[in-house]
Amino acid sequence: MSNINGKVYAMNAITPMKPWKTWILRGFFFVLGRVKPLQQDLINLSFIEFARWVVLPRRGFPFLGNGQKREELQYDYLLFFSNFNGTWNQYIDAFSAVLSRGLNLIWRWSEKFPGSVPVTPFKNYIAQVQFDTDYYYTAYPRATANDLKSAHIVQTSLDALSLRAQDYTPAQFAEAYLHFVIQVQAHLGETGDAPVVF
Amino acid sequence: MSKLNATDIQGFVLRGYNLPVGRYLFLHLEDATRARKMIGQLLGQVTTGQRWDGGKPDSTMNIAFTHKGLAALDLPLATLITFPVEFQDGMKERSGILGDTGLNAPERWDDVWRGDRVHMWLGVNAKSPEALEARCAKLLATIQESGGATLLGSQDAAAVVIDGKPTTREHFGYTDGFGNPEYLGVERSSQPGQGKLLADGTWAPLATGELLLGYADEAGELPVAPVPHLLAANGTFMVYRKLHQNLATFRAYLDEQAALYGGGKEKLAAKFIGRWRDGTPLELSPDKPDFPLTQDPKRSTNFTYGADPEGTRCPLGAHVRRVHPRDDFGFHGKLIDRRRITRRGLPYGAFVPEGEPVSDSEDRGVIFMALNASISRQFEFVQQQWIGYGNDAHLGNDKDMLIGNHGGRGRFVVQGDTRPENPPFICSNMPNFVELRGGEYFFLPSITALGMIALSLVDPR
Repeated sequence: MSNINGKVYAMNAITPMKPWKTWILRGFFFVLGRVKPLQQDLINLSFIEFARWVVLPRRGFPFLGNGQKREELQYDYLLFFSNFNGTWNQYIDAFSAVLSRGLNLIWRWSEKFPGSVPVTPFKNYIAQVQFDTDYYYTAYPRATANDLKSAHIVQTSLDALSLRAQDYTPAQFAEAYLHFVIQVQAHLGETGDAPVVF
Repeated sequence: MSKLNATDIQGFVLRGYNLPVGRYLFLHLEDATRARKMIGQLLGQVTTGQRWDGGKPDSTMNIAFTHKGLAALDLPLATLITFPVEFQDGMKERSGILGDTGLNAPERWDDVWRGDRVHMWLGVNAKSPEALEARCAKLLATIQESGGATLLGSQDAAAVVIDGKPTTREHFGYTDGFGNPEYLGVERSSQPGQGKLLADGTWAPLATGELLLGYADEAGELPVAPVPHLLAANGTFMVYRKLHQNLATFRAYLDEQAALYGGGKEKLAAKFIGRWRDGTPLELSPDKPDFPLTQDPKRSTNFTYGADPEGTRCPLGAHVRRVHPRDDFGFHGKLIDRRRITRRGLPYGAFVPEGEPVSDSEDRGVIFMALNASISRQFEFVQQQWIGYGNDAHLGNDKDMLIGNHGGRGRFVVQGDTRPENPPFICSNMPNFVELRGGEYFFLPSITALGMIALSLVDPR
């Protein structure tokens, strides 16, 4: 049971929201989902594999009958789920440094959210609302998102070269090979063990 | 921000002395009472950050302690446990995190670093070997008389002398010392490229709290620091690492690879670190060195990598690009502003000009001393993530070409283009050009804090 599997970290955080505030957040998510440039900063953090926020409405929890007691929940909940490469500290530091405005818009509706700057109260908050991962499968524990993207580029370029190379003269091949190397030269990092967590 | 109280800050923190010779003494504190008395005696001789209006002094002296040293001085336990964990651990305990394994493992370090006996660092820098000897003799007499400490060992260091003049070259032949950042409040002539990058492309000094405890840092908060505040404020942490250079291996490897590389030997050497050996940044002058550029503070550090995302000018894995990525990770460099360190230190061992016989076993290298407010957030992060690993630079597990702990399996891609003089090239089977021979984490207190320690006035509340 660990949040870490090789080079990937899984983070789950659940925060309560007063139900009237949930509507404001829904409005913000509606805009965020449709205006792509607003997502750009999050996408540009290349060590984040993905990040997703989901609203769990207080009346949306399953009721099975069969003697289960009816509950009247006071809060809606915001589930945050993200997979990223690197350390917990690195992740939150980066969030706080470059995404603070966006994060504040998402989380300020949650109870006791201190703001994402300064970073220490923000880290304390995340640590308190984080739920540890019980089971975590990852297909490539020795690779990061960057490594996988690189691998795709190398594979695609190699496939294209080998397809064309069948009919090349040695001189043509030499030139094509040079262009292939230039295509992949920024994507040749090795995969391997993750650094020691700290 | 107003100027800092330079008389309360050790001079070593605020400026590189630029003095040609140095000696670092490593002391073991014997008895808390006598050791405190000794610190009281040394206190008046500590070089502060006060301006040298009357010219440079003949010599300087500064003091720092390990966590064990602070414990040996009987600081209250309530204070000792408030120091950051990595400083309490010490560098040896952090070897896994730092990648100090294999050839760099603590078992292979110099004797003085293998035990846990170093308590205190006493750094002396001087204008001449004579001034150095005189100052050290005086200091050692004070130490001996006090009975407070014994000398475990010392390390001499000196600027490499070429044609009779001290230089800023290191043993591999590269010109060193361009990269130190600027901080708010620290008096220094300003130079574009040495602080933090702003959204409009200009540079500004980093927050003081990236260097000194007790001031706001780049995240807008005070760095983690021990209590009481007075003990921490105006102090900083120092990382000391003795980096042995395998000069014969480096020269042989460069020759061997240069024979296969179309751009020539000096260009390959430049691709390794991102600067020509005279210091010209590849990013500004990719085809040839440009010495006048290196002498112009408006230009020598004034560049970014945004126009070179493929690394065809300066390779993505070149040393200077790794350790100071500038705008490389986007967000106008914002992701790196809290990862900067200030480097002090000098080479040690005899300089051997190229072409003369040389051996790896000769004692030579660089004494790396880095100052930062948070060892874990700054030095350790840079060492682990940017030197021993490559994901932020999209380089997978590749390590820093020059100082990575390769163990014979290192790889370095020199990105290129279609021009024959700038071909893509892959260096493989890289050995360790640099090996760690020991080191430790130190706390460099303010003058006030040294006084508190000497008088046993550290009150944790």
